[in-house]
Amino acid sequence: MMSLFEAAWVIARRDFVASVFSKTFIIFLLAPMILFGFAFFFASMTDAQDQAAAQPAVAVVADSATAGALGEARERLVTGTSEESFPVLRNVAPAQHVAVQARALLADEHGGYSAVLSGTLDRPVLTGPLKADGYVAHRLQLLVDDARRAAALRAAGAVPPPAPLERVVTDQAAGNLQMIRRNLAKGGQTLIFTVTMLLATLLLSTLVEEKTNKVIEVLAAAVPLDAVFLGKLLAMLGISLVGLALWAGMFALGYTTLHQMFEDWVTLPAVAPAIGWPIWIVLLILYFATNFMILGALFLGIGAQASNIREIQTISMPVTMLQLLVFLLAINVVGRGLGPLALTAYIVPFSSPMAMIAFGAQSETLWPHLLALAWQALWIVLIIRVSSRLFKATVLKSGSAGSFFSFLRRKAKA
Amino acid sequence: MQGNLAIEASGLVKSFDGKRAVDGIDLAVPEGAIYGILGPNGAGKTTTLRMLLGIIEPDAGRRSLLGHERPLEAAKIVGYLPEERGLYPAMTTREAIAFMGALRGLPLETGRKRAEILLQENGLGDYVDKPIKSLSKGMAQTIQLFGTIVHRPKLVVLDEPFSGLDAINQGRLEHLIRDEAAAGTTIIFSTHVIHHAERLCERIAIIADGRIRFEGLVSDARGRLRPQVRLKPRNADGAWRKSLPLDARQIGDLWQFELPRGGIEPLLKALIDGGAGIEELSIERSGLHDAFVAIAGETAAREMEASEQADFGEAA
Repeated sequence: MMSLFEAAWVIARRDFVASVFSKTFIIFLLAPMILFGFAFFFASMTDAQDQAAAQPAVAVVADSATAGALGEARERLVTGTSEESFPVLRNVAPAQHVAVQARALLADEHGGYSAVLSGTLDRPVLTGPLKADGYVAHRLQLLVDDARRAAALRAAGAVPPPAPLERVVTDQAAGNLQMIRRNLAKGGQTLIFTVTMLLATLLLSTLVEEKTNKVIEVLAAAVPLDAVFLGKLLAMLGISLVGLALWAGMFALGYTTLHQMFEDWVTLPAVAPAIGWPIWIVLLILYFATNFMILGALFLGIGAQASNIREIQTISMPVTMLQLLVFLLAINVVGRGLGPLALTAYIVPFSSPMAMIAFGAQSETLWPHLLALAWQALWIVLIIRVSSRLFKATVLKSGSAGSFFSFLRRKAKA
Repeated sequence: MQGNLAIEASGLVKSFDGKRAVDGIDLAVPEGAIYGILGPNGAGKTTTLRMLLGIIEPDAGRRSLLGHERPLEAAKIVGYLPEERGLYPAMTTREAIAFMGALRGLPLETGRKRAEILLQENGLGDYVDKPIKSLSKGMAQTIQLFGTIVHRPKLVVLDEPFSGLDAINQGRLEHLIRDEAAAGTTIIFSTHVIHHAERLCERIAIIADGRIRFEGLVSDARGRLRPQVRLKPRNADGAWRKSLPLDARQIGDLWQFELPRGGIEPLLKALIDGGAGIEELSIERSGLHDAFVAIAGETAAREMEASEQADFGEAA
């Protein structure tokens, strides 16, 4: 008899070759890049439009001196923060009845004003659907205060000269370090979650091919079902890694190009994960593999019970929801100590890989990773064994292939 | 029974949803034999074969395949053609055969070479690089059969191998089975077509309702029925009629009855002395079909014929 791994290799090689050397694999490789490209393009476009549309405009109904002082105050404050931090100010010459004019301006859809500022700097009046602690009221108060302070200082001849900030550059600061590592942890988790969700769900339908083609009986008579399941998982993992390698290569190429073009704003964080970049990258790959294998083995087991694509579609949604729940559990470990929820996330096999990659970003201790990888490997074996036994018990029966779902249907009829 | 057994099973039991599909089956298949399992659809043939191969586990009983109690341990020297044929449609014929060999431990490159030889030898050399999906059903079945034997197994298990094949392909398959057996391979196949078993097998098992009704040599099965005597007397009436056995039935001018235990000579003498005047006399050995009817019953035989008709329709 061939060993389990020899047999799994035969299955994996067939599946890998059949997938990678098919025309649809090119679509598989390109689809995410095209989708992300479109998503990025449209998101950028809508973002710019949204920003322009979302920034509130305030009509300043005042004389030119007041309007000018407010404009200068805005300029000063925007320089220290950002353009989006303050409402856009538009000067409107005052009419005879300012209160009536303010209402008319607020009703004017073309103008699109959120509020109207009238009066003087000493007695400003803000009209509009305002909340006491609302954004517009708060920012207008800041502008008025700054304009008044500047006017008072100018009048007293006490405008201080600018004091250039001396910069003493250090490697890192604890606050920044923790924040960046938390972001790395979340980034690693999101990457593992997203890629697994995109790829592991494919495993739901993998065995349907064998069942539809009736090849499953040929396989089951020749090799242990554990090897069939393991082989299919390894093949899909291999296919996923090929895809990931290509996508990572494209990302690296894109990053290098953009970094050369826009050095100032396209940069990766200089801070390394607590465990160091090389080990963290290796762990990222290993935890992706274990996460993929654990969830994949589960999906393969569930999918193996389905006898057609319709049943696969039916179980896809709960499976996606399960993944989301697991992700929500895993993100609890970021920036928190070893509380009950975080401990659960480390122990539950479905969330363990995502929790542990976050651990690697935030802690330099290595041994828990070895323990976690062994624990996750044990669960892969367990899930495969249970899935294959369930498959043998419910699907591989005499005559037409049954399934757990058809078993349920029979019971329901009875 | 002499020699080693390729398959040995005792008391195999399997139930599905509380219904017994196989109910205590015993089998003994000698090495090198062509062994047939006969029975109508639903008799338990496929379940029996699947249990023998370890695809499903029996609820009770023991089985041994080429000396291995765990069938997968013998996987490298066993070939199996399931009832529901299965191949990957996008694979070429050569790759499909080599893949099936690889599943049984044959190196892929060796499998490819042997696949080419098998295809060439059987007049299918032009199809080496053709995908399975471009083949006819009969041809795809032939490819799967090649995949079943490419690793040169000691035991080949075929579940309804003739099902869905036209007469020409059935003839080719019979030829291939004989060749394999001549090379020392043990062949066991299930069928609901009696004449295939009659032509090919030395030993058979007749299964009906999940139970073995007969297990042994084909000649022994046929020997369960006495040879049939057909007599056409020259004179329709006379004292000779009192000499006829009790089971004698008149069919037109003919009388038919089982050969008497004491032989034909005393009866012949009595008929001649009674003035029958013998115009025709024949003694025919029973066919396997008659034996099957006698062993498994009329109902099982009718079900077999119905399955055969359905098969014929499918192949046509």
